[in-house]
Amino acid sequence: MVVALRAASVIAFVLLWEWAARVPISFNFPSPWATLTALVALLRSGAILSATATSLQSLALGFGIAIAVGVPLGLVMGVVRPVGRVARVYLDLLIALPTAALIPLVILSFGINILSSAVIVFVFSVPFVTMNAYGGVRDVRPRLLEMAHAFDASRWQVFVRIVLPSALPMILAGIRYALSRAFVGLIVAELLLSPFGLGRLIMASRSMFEHDRMFATVLWTLLLAGVALAALARLEGRLLRWRT
Amino acid sequence: MAPRPVEIVVDGVSKAFGTVQALVDVHVRVRAGEFLSLIGPSGCGKTTLLKTIAGLVAPDSGRVVVGGRTVEGPGRECSVVFQDFALLPWATVQKNAEFGLLLRGVPAAARAERARGMIAKVGLAGFEHAYPAQLSGGMQQRVGLARALAVNPQVLLMDEPFASIDEQTRRVFQDDLLQLWSEERKTVVLVTHSMEEAIYLSDRVVVLSPRPGRVHQVLDVPLPRPREGAGVRATAEFARLVDDLWKVLRKLQ
Repeated sequence: MVVALRAASVIAFVLLWEWAARVPISFNFPSPWATLTALVALLRSGAILSATATSLQSLALGFGIAIAVGVPLGLVMGVVRPVGRVARVYLDLLIALPTAALIPLVILSFGINILSSAVIVFVFSVPFVTMNAYGGVRDVRPRLLEMAHAFDASRWQVFVRIVLPSALPMILAGIRYALSRAFVGLIVAELLLSPFGLGRLIMASRSMFEHDRMFATVLWTLLLAGVALAALARLEGRLLRWRT
Repeated sequence: MAPRPVEIVVDGVSKAFGTVQALVDVHVRVRAGEFLSLIGPSGCGKTTLLKTIAGLVAPDSGRVVVGGRTVEGPGRECSVVFQDFALLPWATVQKNAEFGLLLRGVPAAARAERARGMIAKVGLAGFEHAYPAQLSGGMQQRVGLARALAVNPQVLLMDEPFASIDEQTRRVFQDDLLQLWSEERKTVVLVTHSMEEAIYLSDRVVVLSPRPGRVHQVLDVPLPRPREGAGVRATAEFARLVDDLWKVLRKLQ
């Protein structure tokens, strides 16, 4: 049922796209077939693969640090309430921040390199990782804490045995959401600042009016994000098997 | 192997939450190995009293002595069974039953064996690998009971353990509890709002009056034991005792 629905939605999307390409909405709007051909050509030439490798480095660096910083920060915010109350204001502001506007500043500070786009990826994704870890800790059932106290559990035991597993579903959901934000951040960064990566490929194709190549690169980015998100969702399902 | 049951002395305990006087100068003596129920209208502080014995609530004045030790926090003498079971949703029945032993640093093998034995005792053999969400309320509370008994406490404190369980299941569970109690010989304090339950299970019933919570009256339950499976509920004596309790409680509403 779900599989059939999924297939139908993909077909409907492609048909809509094909239709849009035939109606002269815009000059040089590529059809699905043209896009696919361009994608195959980009894969053959290896151009898209080297761009992907460069982009994924920024992504892995920025997103990895976002998790390494965001999860512990969110946990501390949840456990030490005053810290949480102060820090959440900054996180709310960080979410509302027009991050793209800051990119020139980031380039000035870090230079035009992988580090700069990693910083943008980090800024895009870290608030969501942190906020969810924080929310996860705050949602711990008080009764479970009371139960652990009744067994005279130490603070560390309460944290490891009750708080962490209680917060895990929200932490994982935050990581998954932050990953899609990280992809957005990556492309924005590369579009605006960089002479490398998938963003550059998109820019280069656009400036040459090679819209099929541009669309192919965007499609490829979506595929990458989709695969990464699906892998995370699988991991989540395995870790949270008890939620039947 | 079961430790000797101990006496509980609640000695002039008072407790206020803000401006609400939950307990005022409460004196209760629970005999070693006794099954005692606390009953009273809502707001009478019966759960607060139970938590004070458990060391989860510190009294403003007075003290609680469990087996000669003044309670200053949760200790190893007491285990608590909660109304909403308080099971870890991410852990299997086995891991839930082991939880108290885990917190007390019992090695894995001994933990597993002890918990398995308790799971069988509460009638859940074969469900070791199920998760709480896959069990009925009655079965979940059996896990809660297994977890409480696995650490081999001298005192079992039960906070409305059958309140979220349907009637038929409850009656079977009550009989099983009495059976277990006769084997394990714990001092039991049970908080309940069911008069039938208090009479059926207890040696004595302590009636608390509300706002502020005080001991209103203590009733003896001279029904012979074992009561489980003996048709006690159908006897005139049982009906009379429940009625006596009702007459006391009615004046408190």
